[in-house]
Amino acid sequence: MLERFISVSSEEEALAQLNAHGEELQILAGGTDLMVQLQQSGQRTRRLLHIEKIPGLQKISYNGETGIGALCTHRQIVESTLLAHYRSLRQAAAQVGGWQTQMVGTLGGNICNASPAADTLPPLLVHDARITLVSQARGSRVVDLEKFLLGRRHTDRHHDELVSGITLSQPPERGSDIYIKVGRRSATEVAIVGLAACVALDEHRRLIEDVRLAVCSVGPVPKRLYEIENLIKGQEISDSLLDEAGEMLLELIEPIDDVRASKKYRAMVAPRVLREAITCCAQNASG
Amino acid sequence: MSLLGENLVRTDAVGKLTGEARYTVDYDGKDLLHGSLLRSPVPAGLIKAIDTTVAESLPGVRCVITAKDAPDARAGWVLREQALFARKQVRFEGEVIAAVAADTPEQAREAVAAIILDLAETQAVGDMETALAENAPLVHPEWKSYQPVSGEDYPRHGNIASELMADDDAVDVAFENADLIVEDEFTSNRQYQAYIEPKSAVGIYRDGRYTIHTGHQYPFNVRDRVAQYLDVRPSQVRVIGHSIGGGFGGKLDTGLEPYAAILSKFSGGRPVKIVNNRTEDILTCPSRENAVIKMRSALDKQGNLLGRELICHMDNGAYSGEMAFMPSVIFHLAGSVYKVGNIRVIARLVYTNTAPTGAMRGVSGVYFCAFQERHMDHIADELGVDRREYRLRNLVGNGDTLLSGQVLDDADLLRKGFEKMEEAAPWSQLNDNKKPWHGIGICAGTWITNSMPGSVQLILNEDGTVTVVTAATDNGSGAVSMGITQIVAEHFGLPADDIVVTMPDTDVAAYDGGSQGSRTTHIVGRAAGIAADELKGMIFDVASGMLEAGRDDLELVNGQVGVVGYPDSRISLGDIAMTATWTRGPLSASGSYTTAPVPYNPGCASGMLFPFFPTPTYHVHLAEVEVNPVTGNVRVVRYIVVQEVGRVINPAGVRGQIQGAVAQGIGHALYESLRIRDSRYLERSLEAYRLPLAVDMPEVEIITMEHPHALGPFGAKGVGEPAIILAPATVACAVSDAIGRPFNSIPITPEDVLEAIVGKEKQL
Amino acid sequence: MELTFKVNGHPERLELEGHETLLDVLRDDLNLTGTKEGCREGECGACTVLVNGRAVDSCIYAAMAAQDMEIETVEGLATSDGLNSLQNAFAESGGVQCGFCTPGFLMMLTALLDKYPHPDRVQVRDALSGNICRCTGYAQIEEAVERCIRQRTIE
Repeated sequence: MLERFISVSSEEEALAQLNAHGEELQILAGGTDLMVQLQQSGQRTRRLLHIEKIPGLQKISYNGETGIGALCTHRQIVESTLLAHYRSLRQAAAQVGGWQTQMVGTLGGNICNASPAADTLPPLLVHDARITLVSQARGSRVVDLEKFLLGRRHTDRHHDELVSGITLSQPPERGSDIYIKVGRRSATEVAIVGLAACVALDEHRRLIEDVRLAVCSVGPVPKRLYEIENLIKGQEISDSLLDEAGEMLLELIEPIDDVRASKKYRAMVAPRVLREAITCCAQNASG
Repeated sequence: MSLLGENLVRTDAVGKLTGEARYTVDYDGKDLLHGSLLRSPVPAGLIKAIDTTVAESLPGVRCVITAKDAPDARAGWVLREQALFARKQVRFEGEVIAAVAADTPEQAREAVAAIILDLAETQAVGDMETALAENAPLVHPEWKSYQPVSGEDYPRHGNIASELMADDDAVDVAFENADLIVEDEFTSNRQYQAYIEPKSAVGIYRDGRYTIHTGHQYPFNVRDRVAQYLDVRPSQVRVIGHSIGGGFGGKLDTGLEPYAAILSKFSGGRPVKIVNNRTEDILTCPSRENAVIKMRSALDKQGNLLGRELICHMDNGAYSGEMAFMPSVIFHLAGSVYKVGNIRVIARLVYTNTAPTGAMRGVSGVYFCAFQERHMDHIADELGVDRREYRLRNLVGNGDTLLSGQVLDDADLLRKGFEKMEEAAPWSQLNDNKKPWHGIGICAGTWITNSMPGSVQLILNEDGTVTVVTAATDNGSGAVSMGITQIVAEHFGLPADDIVVTMPDTDVAAYDGGSQGSRTTHIVGRAAGIAADELKGMIFDVASGMLEAGRDDLELVNGQVGVVGYPDSRISLGDIAMTATWTRGPLSASGSYTTAPVPYNPGCASGMLFPFFPTPTYHVHLAEVEVNPVTGNVRVVRYIVVQEVGRVINPAGVRGQIQGAVAQGIGHALYESLRIRDSRYLERSLEAYRLPLAVDMPEVEIITMEHPHALGPFGAKGVGEPAIILAPATVACAVSDAIGRPFNSIPITPEDVLEAIVGKEKQL
Repeated sequence: MELTFKVNGHPERLELEGHETLLDVLRDDLNLTGTKEGCREGECGACTVLVNGRAVDSCIYAAMAAQDMEIETVEGLATSDGLNSLQNAFAESGGVQCGFCTPGFLMMLTALLDKYPHPDRVQVRDALSGNICRCTGYAQIEEAVERCIRQRTIE
């Protein structure tokens, strides 16, 4: 009989299991969302591959670029000094559920879960995150997070692959980033809208030299807002520019009604959050 | 040393802090079976057939029962309208259709899933507007055949489950002569009690009697309701209380108890435990009702209130529970805070095909106060008068009467409350220093101390301790574990450790009205005082013989009796008890108490009237909120409560009640609501139903006004509820002030706020 | 499948199917009913226990993931001298009312104070974002933490 719960203690072991039974295995990497889904759907027969004991995937490192092991927990990210320049990611991680969720839930798990409301995804997107996947048969490959996210709870991970880590681009000079989450309460919310921004100013700290923006909870999958970035890049921040950006945002998102908020509210609040995020970043970057 | 006003640690603290406390869900035993219920998947429908054959054949299943197995009886708190199992018609999503007992919870759930239900969905009456429309389908086509539990029938017809009218022709005259009429319509949504312990119950049928284990606010109500459902005499049902994981009114009527009881009967008397999961708990909770109130006031040129008309529609859901009484809460409150001239009150309770509503902390008063206070702000704004000033101008005072004619003896306490508030937070200073996007609100209210009866038997044990036998329940408030314990200890000069209070048991203790309406400390404390006085008399009789001294020369100090002026003459209560037990028999005494009715005018209203507004208390609240102009989120940054309490028995307990009640009020005002779409709740989990978190709560500044009540235990009155009745009101007034727009709907959502902000921005 | 782990210092060995939650195993198999279920979806924190010192919602934690780990529950807090300083502070501050959320709060705060012995009130509130108390409105729980810190400093 096949075991319902397989715990592996090395990457090789995990890859061997995935190679042999990948299609029927559900990877458990924290499981703060998965275990809720399993219990609610009553899928008692799903087989779980528990990978939390694989050594080496829990590290945050810097070797010319910043790397985050797939099994790093949200709490680790919040508290990491190596991620000091990725404030938006730390802000997002600090707002994923309560501390219990943050202590158990992993970044790799959050990415592969591919929730439309995943808090960490917008900041990862603005920092041009790349995902490293490994498989026994085909070795490793690196994919841009943006391409990795295919749809609502749907990613480019093949059944035999394991996400081993995430790398982030260098934070820009004269730059600042932020994650703003809209929720009803001050914590433990599923985002009504989440927006990350990373803004860098030119040498005179006047014009926007670089800007990267990403949103979650306003469409089936978190995404970058390139059109708005292109609109703003090279410009000086002004009310009219931000108004235009806000209008453009409404063209780019697909907010829906759900139990957390109405489509109307999402459409009303998203441009305001965008304005707030860009303004805050520019202010921080100028000082 | 007196124990009154001391922060004694609650007697159940150690058990609750170590995990030893046993809640119903922790009940275990070798022969324990597990129950599960088949609930209606639709809000309205007709049952054509139920096939339980497959379910019965599954492994571990002990019985599957439906309406055909239950007595043909209807039960209810006020009106006997509900059957144990839906027989033909189902009237709300979640109504019970069948029950299963099995060896494991999984087997029970699987058997429930295997019951084949042939159900034809019918048109549901999803809201009050639909229910009141002409030719609306009736939620209870057979409403005429229902009988009240006791007394005469009361006004109800069709989809109107209860109606109260207080009409005064002078109201029309007031409106005809008015120089200004101010009119508002308010709505408020349902609030879930959201105790952290979902409901559970254990039933055991043995020797022809039912024994129920349940952590319940009102064990005698369980006894009576189970007896109605199962068609036995109430004394055939024994209810044993357990630790209660919160109630807030949600555990005042029966939930799972009668099902556990009947399942045990059909399982050969083995105990059966049923536990709600959180979704079941939400779907079937007797939530605070949603309501719509139209309020209009007639004013003269000087802004004096000439008259008011108030039409209130309250959503009853599919069955009435205790809701039939609630229209009279609106009636009493209508004249309890401000002199508003002649009043017309029309309050209707409306049947809908939704989960039955019920009591939640501050029943009906919470939204009434929110609306009355918003209306007062509106009038003040129309008149260009300061909101606080306008309230002070119209406050009721000593000797003023309610609409019922009941005289308010101590209503000057409202004005005193404003004075205390002014000392803590000077109004003009707050207004002058208000930051952008900040708003403040100030509100006043009157609330009751529920009058229902309670009793206590005190036993002096041979070791000198005192046992308190009572069916009073501690729902977490501390009313028993602090209040009653401290009151009894004080009477005998004993440390609290020498007082043992029994858990509720309807076979052992006399009737108690349950932990509701802020009553336990006041009512049961008074009963304890009566018993203590009698027991002390017996103690002095015995001691008089032992000390060879006259009774009148004796005193009871620190648990010892001695002759006044002779410190060496002390004998312990233990010695007295021992002597008594072997000479005249053990010492025990009982006390019972219920608030005596207050004179009122019986012609004041027609309808189901709760005739008086017992032992009122008086309150003033102030809130400061901060609005996030980007998102519309509101944060309460400061909250002050001035609360009249009679007498503080335990300051930490009083503080816990006030802080906790304000938290629930803020939750109701800003975060919580059970919304109904197509007759079903949208919020079905604690992820969707947002309860306030530590990060959302301000620390409430509390000012207690002591005004000892002549009949209260050492002067104590009710404390548990008053702080919630004004919290949504005060927050709503503060948010309206912050934005400069009226917020007349509870809860106030970020969407409402942002819409108002955007509306204003567009105007600029 | 076999699960071996330590619970409150005692080695335990259980036979499981594989998908059981840690909460169910603690309550049903080990009869440690101090840990409570409030929502079964990781929202209320009533089921919080420590797994190798980390506070986790045991209702959404796979029991098998605790293989070879050390579990601490509310039953393990008190010492032979009685309540520990955190429990005592809860009792004295009025941090307990109905008590159903209390074990979860105690375990979360145990984890917090272990890592940050002197948190300020903002940190305490933040750390309690995954624990719901419906009775107290939180103030006396926060005060209990402060009382506990003071007590531990004196000791």
